[in-house]
Amino acid sequence: MNLDSKVKITAPCSHSLFLDATHLKGCSLSVQKKIWALVERCQASTAFIDVVPAMNSLTVYLVHSDHIRYWQTTLLQWWNTTDIQEHKGTHHKIVTRYGGECGPDLEFIANYHGISASSVIELHMNVTYLVLFLGFQPGFTYLHGLPAELHTPRRSEPRVKVPKGSVAIGADQTSIYPADSPGGWHIIGHTNFSLFDWQNNPPCAIAPGDTLQFISEEALL
Amino acid sequence: MIEVLKPGLLMSIQDLGRFGFRHLGVAQSGALDTCAMQLANALLENNKNDAVIEITLGLGKLRFTCNTVIALVGTDMNTQLDDIPIYPGWTYPVKQGQILSFKAAKNGLRGYLAVKGGILCEPVMGSCATDLAAGFGGATGFSLKEGDLIKVKPYDNPWPKRGAILPPKRHVIRIHPSIHADLLTSQTLHSFCATQWYVKPQSNRMGVRLSNENTTLAHSHSLPSLAVSPGSIQLPPNGDPIVLLNDAQTTGGYPLLGTVISADLFHFAQLKPGDTVSFEYVNKQIAEHAQKKIDAHFAQLSIVMNNRGRSLP
Repeated sequence: MNLDSKVKITAPCSHSLFLDATHLKGCSLSVQKKIWALVERCQASTAFIDVVPAMNSLTVYLVHSDHIRYWQTTLLQWWNTTDIQEHKGTHHKIVTRYGGECGPDLEFIANYHGISASSVIELHMNVTYLVLFLGFQPGFTYLHGLPAELHTPRRSEPRVKVPKGSVAIGADQTSIYPADSPGGWHIIGHTNFSLFDWQNNPPCAIAPGDTLQFISEEALL
Repeated sequence: MIEVLKPGLLMSIQDLGRFGFRHLGVAQSGALDTCAMQLANALLENNKNDAVIEITLGLGKLRFTCNTVIALVGTDMNTQLDDIPIYPGWTYPVKQGQILSFKAAKNGLRGYLAVKGGILCEPVMGSCATDLAAGFGGATGFSLKEGDLIKVKPYDNPWPKRGAILPPKRHVIRIHPSIHADLLTSQTLHSFCATQWYVKPQSNRMGVRLSNENTTLAHSHSLPSLAVSPGSIQLPPNGDPIVLLNDAQTTGGYPLLGTVISADLFHFAQLKPGDTVSFEYVNKQIAEHAQKKIDAHFAQLSIVMNNRGRSLP
């Protein structure tokens, strides 16, 4: 797939632009890497209030709405002249306590797929996940890499409160809840790793392009 | 200081919001009715981004532990300072020990209390706005609770009596065209604009939820998560649109019906459950003209204020 093929850039409002590359099917990881490179280029400019990557798309919020036509053209040029760099992200080890009180849905996941709880843990740990982008709530990471054997439909009834640090699986994704919040994903474990702390600078330890690995707490002993 | 005797339904410290952190999933937060909030600050010659108290519905009580001057702008909450009625849109001197009490809002939902010099709190990521979902910003990171003490700088000098009015309410909200027009079909976009929508009780600072039992815009599209922001109008599969407001999440996977133009977004701050609203698509020129009109309103106000201040005896 040629990544230089056409992307659409539209204006959701008078001061934002939406670069849509979601139709470049079959190469979503390469598209996402190109988005990261573009994000870097945008962040170096003072023209934007916010630069927000999402799934194979990028939205920029402009300081001056008068410049929107200029940036619509420029972003397209940038897209066509930005190389997919192999992003050198930070690798994070997420020490996780699986099952028991920390992971009340571990057994459910195991039963759903007809495998043992320890197989679920092993499958979940044996992958290096790639951070695609952050969103939904402060510090929430969208990760690439959950093995197909663990894809599980969300809970039919979301929990009112999922505790901060819960490691969970929802559909084809796994992630960590950065704060107490309602949630419909299956909780398989818990980590003390802090994803977001407003008192830190930067407040978020993980960035798009970083890699992440879950490690069982027992494996450390 | 201001002591919270009773917070009522919801009181929080807000400024114009938090910018530059959406890529980390941090919401904008900030005052929903930016017009009322900025007017309250302007009447006191505060900076336009000075923190204020956003009062939802009313039913609260605040006690001042120092002299100051206040301006209350937004909905009329039958407010009293001890036993003196306080009218929205005016400045009032306050003496140490006086109690400001709010009954319930009549024609809107939110009022903004500004004090001379602004509410004082430590900015978090560049803003004093309280992020109610994530628990940071403001004085405590949360909505105001009974017993909270809010820092203000005493002001003992006389202050001119000043009043100003807000732009009139709009019932037809102007919106930018949908970026998902192809996906949603012109029929859906047409019905969206032809419908008078009712505000659902589940509405909050994250979004105003709408419905109309005679219109169904239900669909089965699901999109890869894309960035959303205050003013984005989401259409979840159940067909009931949601107008996202300041506390909304930064990304979402629902198609968008359009985006409320910046000049009209503040109207959603005052919509109560059961109120009605409808929408019309406008072009970029109309959107820009509308915003310039609001900017001009505030520019004019500050000119008047500066000159009047100097000519006072």
